[in-house]
Amino acid sequence: MEQKKYWQSFTELNQDAESFKKLAQDEFREELPFEMDEKGILDAKAPRRDFLKFLGFSTAAATLAASCEVPVKKAVPFLNKPEDIVPGVANWYATTYVNDGEVIPVLAKVRDGRPIKIEGNDTSFTKGGTSAKVQASVLGLYDIARLRFPLEDGKEAPSYDAIDKKITEALAGIGSKQIVILTSTLNSPSLSTVIEGFVAKYPSAKHVMYDAISYSGMLDANLTSFGKRAIPSYHFDKAKVIVSIGADFLGTWLSPVEFARQYAAGRRVSDKQMEMSKHIHFESHLSMTGANADDRYMHRPSQAGAVILNLYKELGGAVSAPAIEDKKLAEGIKQAAQALIANKGAALVVCGSNDVFSQLVVNEINMLIGANGTTINWATTVNYRLGSDSAMNVLLGEMEAGNIGALLIYGANPVYNHPMGDKFAAALSKIGLTVSFNERVDETAARCKYVLPAPHFLESWGDAEAKPGYISFIQPTIAPLFKTRAFGTALLKWSGASVDGVDYETYFKNFWITKLGSQEAFDAILRNGVIEPAEELIGGGTYSANGVPAAVAKLLETKKGGKAELVIYESVAIGDGKMANNPWLQELPDPITRATWDNYAMISKKMADELGIVVDDNYEVEVKKPVIKVKAGNKEITIPILVIPGMHPDVIAIAAGYGRGGEIKDAATAEKAIQTIGRTAAGTGVNVYPLVSFNGSGNQYFVSDVSFEKTTEKQTIAYVQSHNVYEDRTEVIKEISLAEYKATPQKLQEAAKELREKFGEDFRNEATLYDPKLNERPGIHWGMSIDLNTCTGCAACVVACTAENNVPVVGRKQVARFHEMHWLRIDRYYAANRDDQFNDINVVFQPMLCQHCDNAPCENVCPVAATNHSSEGLNQMTYNRCIGTRYCANNCPYKVRRFNWLDWNGADSFPDNQRPMVEDGYMDAVVLDMNDDLIRMVLNPDVTVRSRGVIEKCSFCVQRLQEGKLNAKKESRPVKDGEVKTACMQACPTNAIVFGNVNDKESLVYKIRNEEQKNRSYYTLESIHTLPNVSYLAKVRNTDRHVGVKEEGEHQETKAETKEAIPSAH
Amino acid sequence: MSLLKYESTLREPLVDGEKTYHQVTEDICRPVEEKANMGWKVGFGISVALLLFGVYSVYREVTYGIGQWNLNKTIGWGWDITNFVWWVGIGHAGTLISAILLLFRQGWRTGVNRAAEAMTIFAVMCAGQFPIFHMGRVWDAFFVLPYANTRGPLWVNFASPLLWDVFAISTYFTVSLLFWYSGLIPDLATVRDRAKTKLRKMWYGVASFGWSGSTKHWQRHESLSLVLAGLSTPLVLSVHTIVSFDFATSVVPGWHTTIFPPYFVAGAIFSGFAMVQTLMLVTRKVMKLEDYITLGHIEAMNKVIVLTGSIVGIAYLTELFMAWYGGVMYEFDAFYKYRIAGPYGWSYWTMMTCNVISPQLFWSKKLRRNVAFTFIMSIVVNIGMWFERFVIIVTSVYRDYLPSSWSVYYRPTIWEVGFYLGTFGLFFTCYFLFSKFAPVIAIAEIKHVLKTSGESYKEKMEHVEKESVDEFAHEYAHAH
Repeated sequence: MEQKKYWQSFTELNQDAESFKKLAQDEFREELPFEMDEKGILDAKAPRRDFLKFLGFSTAAATLAASCEVPVKKAVPFLNKPEDIVPGVANWYATTYVNDGEVIPVLAKVRDGRPIKIEGNDTSFTKGGTSAKVQASVLGLYDIARLRFPLEDGKEAPSYDAIDKKITEALAGIGSKQIVILTSTLNSPSLSTVIEGFVAKYPSAKHVMYDAISYSGMLDANLTSFGKRAIPSYHFDKAKVIVSIGADFLGTWLSPVEFARQYAAGRRVSDKQMEMSKHIHFESHLSMTGANADDRYMHRPSQAGAVILNLYKELGGAVSAPAIEDKKLAEGIKQAAQALIANKGAALVVCGSNDVFSQLVVNEINMLIGANGTTINWATTVNYRLGSDSAMNVLLGEMEAGNIGALLIYGANPVYNHPMGDKFAAALSKIGLTVSFNERVDETAARCKYVLPAPHFLESWGDAEAKPGYISFIQPTIAPLFKTRAFGTALLKWSGASVDGVDYETYFKNFWITKLGSQEAFDAILRNGVIEPAEELIGGGTYSANGVPAAVAKLLETKKGGKAELVIYESVAIGDGKMANNPWLQELPDPITRATWDNYAMISKKMADELGIVVDDNYEVEVKKPVIKVKAGNKEITIPILVIPGMHPDVIAIAAGYGRGGEIKDAATAEKAIQTIGRTAAGTGVNVYPLVSFNGSGNQYFVSDVSFEKTTEKQTIAYVQSHNVYEDRTEVIKEISLAEYKATPQKLQEAAKELREKFGEDFRNEATLYDPKLNERPGIHWGMSIDLNTCTGCAACVVACTAENNVPVVGRKQVARFHEMHWLRIDRYYAANRDDQFNDINVVFQPMLCQHCDNAPCENVCPVAATNHSSEGLNQMTYNRCIGTRYCANNCPYKVRRFNWLDWNGADSFPDNQRPMVEDGYMDAVVLDMNDDLIRMVLNPDVTVRSRGVIEKCSFCVQRLQEGKLNAKKESRPVKDGEVKTACMQACPTNAIVFGNVNDKESLVYKIRNEEQKNRSYYTLESIHTLPNVSYLAKVRNTDRHVGVKEEGEHQETKAETKEAIPSAH
Repeated sequence: MSLLKYESTLREPLVDGEKTYHQVTEDICRPVEEKANMGWKVGFGISVALLLFGVYSVYREVTYGIGQWNLNKTIGWGWDITNFVWWVGIGHAGTLISAILLLFRQGWRTGVNRAAEAMTIFAVMCAGQFPIFHMGRVWDAFFVLPYANTRGPLWVNFASPLLWDVFAISTYFTVSLLFWYSGLIPDLATVRDRAKTKLRKMWYGVASFGWSGSTKHWQRHESLSLVLAGLSTPLVLSVHTIVSFDFATSVVPGWHTTIFPPYFVAGAIFSGFAMVQTLMLVTRKVMKLEDYITLGHIEAMNKVIVLTGSIVGIAYLTELFMAWYGGVMYEFDAFYKYRIAGPYGWSYWTMMTCNVISPQLFWSKKLRRNVAFTFIMSIVVNIGMWFERFVIIVTSVYRDYLPSSWSVYYRPTIWEVGFYLGTFGLFFTCYFLFSKFAPVIAIAEIKHVLKTSGESYKEKMEHVEKESVDEFAHEYAHAH
């Protein structure tokens, strides 16, 4: 054995073992650079130098080894790279956002297998528009409170097969009792057939649809008027006069994304096109749509019928309408009627009421003004809301009577959002088999025997039919994160249709391939996301006025409201409450109140006076607001107030969708709510659904007689804007009436002209200490133009920005400390008539983001040059360099810089060091939840997450600009206009935001500034010479009233009054 | 009488009582050589406790983030920078007394200059904490230094007033420290020479740099003092000027004001003298140094206070005038709507009362020479000056250009207050140590003026006063 020699290389074979061994021992074979001999280092030839060398090396090595403890982060590369995934390059999948009946075709941006951003699908009827909820929906995928496995009796079930077996047995043994599938609006063609198949198998089964915010009254009215239980398409773009009676069609009513785009088409004025639609709004509380109106009138909710009748009468209806005492309102109705008649055939009346009789008269009104077939399209109806309140009540009755044997619930959450949710909850226990298909254990699911986790839409196959013929596909963008199963699959399995384990995915594919004729056709739709008719069918419906006399009689019977009335409305961010566990939405400031994280009672100034709440400077600056008790019948809620101008004096308005998970009484209830609903939604606000009443035909979202009283308590409301009027600062907001704009188009340019006269045309170069050469910016110069006229305040851009740029969530407590981080915000100002500050108001929305000033005040004050200017006009932020002096933020006139007050992102060198903050009650645990590994999957890998102690702000989505430039470079061409879009621009449903290269004379933004909108363009705070790269287009209102700040002369006279300061009101 | 030291008896003596050189040394060295009394121990204990609380407050802020403070997106600076400017302001009197008054040959400075200089140094040390620890990432604070680095061409931003602050404050601190210490050397040598224990001998021996008291040493010492005085004089003006640039060069209405440099300097001297008064009144009482820090000293400083207070008052009024006359609505609003009135109106009126109205009482000689009243006034002035900085900083930014961003009410958190209290702790810890281990009055300089301005020596001069000119000339022409 000894003789055998094992060798690895020829060197080893040929050399003697000893020297090789020695050689092999030294990993680094190079001789050390020290002159050494046997005598040791100190006696060597130059011991001092060598000593220093040793010392230096060992110190450096020790320092490296000891001090730089870098946490190990694993990046595992693909072993076999999938063909369609290139690391760092996004894949886009067309899919569809479906929430109850709401359908928005979207594209999902998938980076390395993770969907991280949602964009609108340009080829669909929404024309690429999105809403805040759509933008935020991607976060819902990674919601850590999602149900991860099926539950049986609240415990994890062993497997789907076991459950299926039990349920099929239970269904088979149901006997004479009914089986009910209860859903919110479902408009999926394939799922409908699946349900049909289920019903065929179990003949006692029936499908009930119910919506939290119901349009049942409208559907029923249309059934009487037009013979179809359907809602027609509306064409706000074709209407020259739009009258809305309580319909918040830009914010929450039916299909706001679609309507906002149409509405904006009629509101876009330019120097060439000086016409715009007129929007007259009647409502009880200030809604986002009301805020956009040209003329706005307030009425009590119980008065809605009277307003409709009076309008009907003014339009020539032969009715005796109840007298309207409020002169202004009466006059408004008259003017609305006149405008409608004058624009017959191009006029539209929409009504947000869920009262069948009101809608019947509105239908009649729309016939009188020739809306049928012009602005109201019966040839294409919509499937957004199909629920029926009465069917739901019948179901509840049957449940209580014990006639229901099995209840399968999908999408609906009646225990939470039905007015008689408590009764529903009680009746649930009488049913033998209750199954909930749900993303989480919501209020209803918690009381069901089985809870089967449903996939998020980004993990699902499916389809939606927004309108007949408008098909939109849903395709998964990621493998299911949890043990979820499609609702369809369950039904198929239980129907016995799927002999060989056919699931909904296969069913869906077969369904469409059969329908479309080929796999290719199917693939094409999958790729495009939608299939729509080439041209929209437009036509009127066959109208019958049969229901009108009875409706009029009913409306005349309406009882007068009490001293105060309550309105329950849907908020733009939270909606009906289904998406309440979405931190992006909870932290999204309400367009009107600018408050986050909770609901509150919006009250009028008059009510505040009655309650003894002084609305002054101190009210404005203190986030703790008085809490009131509102009593409606035998129900009572306590809720903090916000005084809002533009509220009817006798109306209280509270948003629905809050108070998820029930009242938080103690740690146990809190923990339960957190476990089921999720930490974000648990404990936010108060649930007001129990105050909704059923009037025999539909749910009524108001209470006509409530009493209220002040308590001694105060509660913090986390709002982001404390002052609400722009204090005559016309450099901030410019607004004008259409008539005035037409008469003197250049009026808006006076201030800019004066500046140029005073400081010279070349003021750009003259008014600076710096080398004028710095102002020469050849090549690309990025710029943005924002149209205040078409910005509706919907805040889709805000959430889009949050998603794109990894803007952190800070939680209620920190928002209340004015620590919110939004890079883009929508400032809301009331421009009040001085004589009637709280009632006669105009509202202006101004998206405010970093203005990327070419002469930026922030840049020269930074001691370490962490913020600087790019040659392309971008104001850049170097997070690594920032030491957090906040000097830039102080010196920013636009206050758009945001400081990382705490470690929102878990990016700190001290790991998890914010936990004590949460334990101290200083910070909300939601912030830590946002750092969960699961939810962090939503982060955009192209954008750094910022560490504690640095400033951040809008970058004009520089990562997108880089991508666009690189794409252009690869193809050796300049960047095309419209090729790169900022996230806000892309999300905007009304195209109010235009971004591009202002050095390109063909670009839209150049044309807007220099050609089309020369007169409306202005820069905010131009006189301080910051030279912003964001310009605004002044707000124009189509009204006879005076708009904006009064003339200089008047101004002086009214000065005394101004000092009183208007709505300090929050 | 070889050399006549003569000062008119009309001038108030600078040293009261019957003093000899030895007596002066005894009086001033006594506190250094005696054991610390109870008062000192209690005071020192409280100071250290405050300091520790401050350290904890800063620890929390550094560990958890600036979110420990109630600053917000609108109010980026609050108590932190208010305290910074306040302490810097306080740090002005010392150098002014030692440098400018030295150059102007104001003999009365000798009684107070040592303590005032020490106060300057400690105040600047306190001030320096704030701009450092108000940084979001204090561990990167060295970025503000223009050091050779491996970050490519990355350099500091020389256009930023904050950077100027770095240079201004560090220069000021260095020069003040040198000035103070060089003045201390002869006195430390005195203490060394009187030391009885070995340790003290060694300690003061090292500290006094081998001072032998030779004429050459004295001559060099005097020259150094003069050179440092010359260097410090522009610094007195420049430091607060540069601090005021933090605000004056910005675009914030209420900050962007060209009047700031002189107004800040006057304010700094105003508050600095007030602080010197506070300290001196306590020190003279506790250390029984009434003979060296006399009513005359107090009155002289009160005169400076009324002068600088009036300058500050005029500056306030000028600001208001310019806000109206300038016709810029943002500035008009800032001054007339959101400072005078508004939620922080009370702070403006506190400032006005403390800084403008109350110091006017010092026109009365009786009050100027009233120790108790002076003490109260010195506190009032420092409260007022704190509010001046608060008003400038917070009430300017809390409501600036865009009404949408106007802030909710800003109240400091306990940690913000803790940081401030901590600097008091630091200041008084240093001051207590100083007063225990170094002569609080410049012994050598007192001796220098003793025989011209000492009370007993002046009395001896009375017969000279009575002599006719001829007699006087005759006597002293022949005196040898």
